[in-house]
Amino acid sequence: MVQMIRGAIDQVKNRHKLLSELDSAVGDGDHGTTMLRAMKNVEKLIGEINKDDLKNLLHSVGWTFLGVDGGATGPLLGVLFMGMSEYFVEKQTLDCKDLAAMFEQGLAAIQKQTKAKKGDKTMLDALIPAVEALNRASSQKKTILEALHGAAEAAETGAISTKNMKAGFGRAKNLGDRALGCQDPGAKSISLIFEGFYQGIQSIGT
Amino acid sequence: MVMKKFINNPENVVSELLEGYVLAYPNKVKLAGDNLVVRAVPKAWGKVGIVTLGGSGHEPGLSGFVGEGMLDVSVPGEIFAAPGPPRCLEAIKIADRGAGVLFIVLNHAGDVLTANLTMQMAQKEGLNVKMILTHEDISSGPREKPEERRGLVGFLPVYKVSGAAAEQGLTLEEVLKIADRMERNMRTLAVAVKTATHPSTGEAIFTLGDDEMEIGMGQHGEAGTGRMKLKTANETAEIMLQQLLEDLEVKEGEELLVILNGAGATTLMELFIIFRHMYQVAAGKKIKIVKSLIGEYITTQEQAGFQMFIARMDRELLRLWDAPCDTPYLVVR
Repeated sequence: MVQMIRGAIDQVKNRHKLLSELDSAVGDGDHGTTMLRAMKNVEKLIGEINKDDLKNLLHSVGWTFLGVDGGATGPLLGVLFMGMSEYFVEKQTLDCKDLAAMFEQGLAAIQKQTKAKKGDKTMLDALIPAVEALNRASSQKKTILEALHGAAEAAETGAISTKNMKAGFGRAKNLGDRALGCQDPGAKSISLIFEGFYQGIQSIGT
Repeated sequence: MVMKKFINNPENVVSELLEGYVLAYPNKVKLAGDNLVVRAVPKAWGKVGIVTLGGSGHEPGLSGFVGEGMLDVSVPGEIFAAPGPPRCLEAIKIADRGAGVLFIVLNHAGDVLTANLTMQMAQKEGLNVKMILTHEDISSGPREKPEERRGLVGFLPVYKVSGAAAEQGLTLEEVLKIADRMERNMRTLAVAVKTATHPSTGEAIFTLGDDEMEIGMGQHGEAGTGRMKLKTANETAEIMLQQLLEDLEVKEGEELLVILNGAGATTLMELFIIFRHMYQVAAGKKIKIVKSLIGEYITTQEQAGFQMFIARMDRELLRLWDAPCDTPYLVVR
C-alpha cells in the first residue's frame, strides 16, 4: 500500500504542471500546485507513520488531504482515503478482492458528499471506471498488478472522455459550452494517482 | 498579461498577508489556532457566535469583517481555494460562547464540500451549530434552482444582520431566521472587463478582448457566459439593474439596500457614475434605494469590473443593518 501511495506521489510530482494547465482552461489554474502540496504533505506523513496499521495509514492520508486547504480537491480525496480506511480488514496482506472492495468503499464515501454522477465532468469520471475495472479484475481472479494496470487504463480513458462533457459541478460549470474540448483536471489527477499505484506495485517486482 | 505584484515567495502569500493584516488592526483582530482570524476581544459569553470560511486572495473579504457586530471567526484558505474541514471545526469551537454558532458559507464547490464535512464532524461531537448557504448570484443558475447559484458579495449583509442579531442576544434559531430572510431577499450580478493574475501561478485567469465585457463573471475570474462589446456606464447599469429587479421581483414602493463592489481594478469614479444611473432607473420605477455601500468588499486581485447587489429591506433588517459594528473594513457607529 505504501508503495502504491509513493507511486502516486511521484506521478503527481512529475506531472503537476499538466494539472495546472488543464485547470487554467476551465478554472483558476492552481490544481497542479494544490495536488503537489497535498502529495508533499502525504509524503511527509508516510515517512513518519507506522506502516503496519493499514487502517490508520489510510485514515491519516485522508485526514492529510482534508487539511490541505485546496478547495474541493482536499475534501474529495480526503473522503476517498478515509472511506477506504473504513474497509475493515484484519489481514496482513490484501488480495485483489480486498483492493476492489476497499476502493468501492472509498467511492461510496465520496458519493455521499456529492450529487455528481458519471458524465458530469468530474473526478468521478475517472474514479468510477477505475473501481469498475478493479471489480472486474477481482471477479476474473487477476493479480493485483493486473488489476491496478486495468484500473489505471480505465481511469485514463475516463479522464480523456471528460473532454467532451459539459461540467455539472465546480467552476467549469460556469463555462457552459466553453468547457468542451478540455479534460477535467480532477479526473486527470485520479488517472495519475492510479497510474502511480500501478507503477508503485510494479516497482516492487523489479 | 504580465503579473506585477508586491509579493515575496508565492508560497508564503497567505501566511504573510494574514500576519500583516492582524499587525495592522491589533485592537480588532488577531490570529488564533491554525491561522484563524478571530476577534481581538472575544464576544460576551452567552451570545451566538458567527463563523465563516473562504479562499484568500479576495481581501478584504472575508476576514476583513471579523469584529464586534459581525464575524467572530473567519477561516481563510489558500488563494482562491476553500480551507479544509479540520480548521473550520476548530473555528466553530473557538466561536462557541455557550449559545451555539451560525456557520455562514458562500456557495462554491469547495466551500460547500468542506462545510458539509465540517457539519458532519460537528454533529458527531455534539456541537451546537447551524449552517446557512448564501447563493444570490443570478447569473450562475436559474431562480428555480438556488442551490446552483453562487454566493458573492451578499455575504456582507448576511454577516452584518446576523452579527447584529447575535450582539443583541437573540437565540441561534432567531439569528438563523434573520440570516435566512436576508439571504432570500438579495441578488447579485457581476460584470468584468479585464482579467486578473493568480498570485501563486502568475497566470492570467481568463481572457477577454480589448473591447469586450462579460456580465456574469465568476469571483475567481473563471469565465461566465454573457460576453458582449463594452457598453457605457448608463447602459451597463440599466441592463444589470433590470435583471436584478426582475429576478428579485421588486415592486413599486419597496426599499432597497444597494452595494456596488469593485473587483479590484475598477475605480470609485466609475462606481459612482454607475450608481447615479441606478438611482435614476430605480426612481423611475418608484423603487427607493434607502441604503448604499460603494467600495471594495470582495475583490479578485486586479480584475476590473464590479458586482451589483440589491436587497429588499424591511424594518427589522434595516435596524440590524444600522446597528453598530467595528471591524477593520466596515465600521458603523
